[in-house]
Amino acid sequence: MRQVRSTDWLFHLYLVLFLAYMLVPLIVMGGAAFNDSRFPSVYPWVGWTDRWFVELWADTRMWNAFANTIYVALAVVAISVPIGTAAAIVINSIAGTTRSVLYALMVAPILTPGAVIGISTLLFWNGVGNAAGSGFFLFKAGLHMSVLGQVSFIAAFVMLLVLARLQSFDRGLEEAALDLGASHAQVMRRILLPHLYPAIGAGAAISFFQSIENFNVTLFTRGTYDTLTVYVFSKVRTGITPTINALALIMITATLLGAVGYEIIRRRRERRLAGR
Amino acid sequence: MSAGVDLDNVCADFGTFRAVDHVAVNIRPGEFFSFLGPSGCGKTTILRMISGFIPPSRGVIRIGGRDMKGQRPNQRPTALIFQNLALFPLMPVWENIAFGLEVRGVDRHKRRARAEELLQLVDLPDAADKAIAQLSGGQKQRVAIARALAVEPQVMLLDEPLSALDLKLRQHMRAELRAIQKRTGVTFIYITHDQGEALAMSDRVGVMSQGKLQQVADPREIYNNPANGFVASFVGENNIFTGDIQGAEGDLARFATASGTFTARLGPAVTQGMKARLFLRPEHVRLAPAAASANSIPVEVTDVAFEGNFISIHARDAGGQVLLAEARNDGATAVPAPGERLHFTFDGQNAVILTGDTAARDADE
Repeated sequence: MRQVRSTDWLFHLYLVLFLAYMLVPLIVMGGAAFNDSRFPSVYPWVGWTDRWFVELWADTRMWNAFANTIYVALAVVAISVPIGTAAAIVINSIAGTTRSVLYALMVAPILTPGAVIGISTLLFWNGVGNAAGSGFFLFKAGLHMSVLGQVSFIAAFVMLLVLARLQSFDRGLEEAALDLGASHAQVMRRILLPHLYPAIGAGAAISFFQSIENFNVTLFTRGTYDTLTVYVFSKVRTGITPTINALALIMITATLLGAVGYEIIRRRRERRLAGR
Repeated sequence: MSAGVDLDNVCADFGTFRAVDHVAVNIRPGEFFSFLGPSGCGKTTILRMISGFIPPSRGVIRIGGRDMKGQRPNQRPTALIFQNLALFPLMPVWENIAFGLEVRGVDRHKRRARAEELLQLVDLPDAADKAIAQLSGGQKQRVAIARALAVEPQVMLLDEPLSALDLKLRQHMRAELRAIQKRTGVTFIYITHDQGEALAMSDRVGVMSQGKLQQVADPREIYNNPANGFVASFVGENNIFTGDIQGAEGDLARFATASGTFTARLGPAVTQGMKARLFLRPEHVRLAPAAASANSIPVEVTDVAFEGNFISIHARDAGGQVLLAEARNDGATAVPAPGERLHFTFDGQNAVILTGDTAARDADE
């Protein structure tokens, strides 16, 4: 089976270079969080410190921005997942021009620069507010508007994932359920959605992370609120300290722990299913 | 409870293509009825019209005397067993079976009990909590039947449900299906391209070709007295001779072919002057060392194939026509060797003259 023996070293070299390319920046970034230097760097190494973590802990503006980010992300997930799933189901069940137009309409925001989405979201809702002659807060910039702006393109990611999963759905199951007396709503709840859950779950995760890392759209629509990315950006202008590195290190660690934890649960479940 | 199904001049059109062409048949309550035909003959379309997935473009479908026009699949007293079974992969066996009850709002406890009951009926106890992926082909089959029976349909529609099984299992499931049908008394409408299945299981068989119903009769009648060339050639093996009808006397007629002039039975509504063929079943061919007084063809044996319970003998006559005879492997019949010259003879009552096209041989794949 191993026919590539003569080029094994080349393969290993490639692997090492690739992993180094991916991981060295993270290691440098993480190391800088412990360097007792006013600037985020590992060279020159001034000395070991945990003061950036202490400063981070005391940074209430940062924690406020962090909370805002989570709120926005949760709201984006809550709105994007139903919209994306529904769009996928509709697009999958129609054909012809309507399908193409709908598909293009859904996917276009992914291809649109974030700044454009941000500005147009702001202008659109301002316009609606002016037309209605209302000073109601929903028409003004704020976190809710960041949510709307982000949903406009994040829902498309959910849709693409669910659409891919729908390709493997056997329409025969739907017919079988109808034949057994199920209504369309029952088919949806008991047959179609359970089939789509993996894609919906993945869509929710991607929506969450897309929202957390979003900067362009949020910057234009946030009003007076800070989110993490916007806050970090403002720090870059006013003078950056390794607290940012400390924050990044915590986030990476949390993500890694989450991934490892999920994998452990998944394997345990797999073993349980196999053993049944 | 079971209901009859009446198809009253039913047509189905897909664009300009007429998949089902004026099919009229009354299927009796409690009957095991098969539609038999090659792929693309419209039999599956008929099934989908009865179950309500396709509206007929013309004609009326009645179930239990009630016109089904406008009734959706989930409103009809039918249950369809799909060719690929369409079991729900994410539900355990018992939830699959109880699905029809679940959507009718039956409580969980009763559903479970009913599922266990049906699993007994299809001879699959202890499978209630298994996953669908853990079942073998035959077990899946039984689950599909149990699931359909759970909704207490008046009519069961089966779309070639045995085609995915291996031979041994298929033969076993034939008997099983037949037994379940007798036990429940539900009307079974069965679709197949496998003549063996149709003949072995059915009370009556409807043979279809190109959207038209060619003959409706019990299996014996279909095999022994086919209505036309298509039925004769689709159901069972034949030696087919083309020729002309020379003169009729009673129900027999003289038929002139390149292999000789024979006496044979006239098929229904066949008269002199029609373009006709003579059909002779291989098992009705007798092997004789010398020529008989009538219906005798001198042949040279080209090949002898041992099939187990019978031996098939391929031969060629003077005109080059390939002929087939079957001898029972009972030890009493002398089996000829390839190259041997002998005579194929037959009784005129066992050969029939029919009109109409013959089935393409690749039809019974």
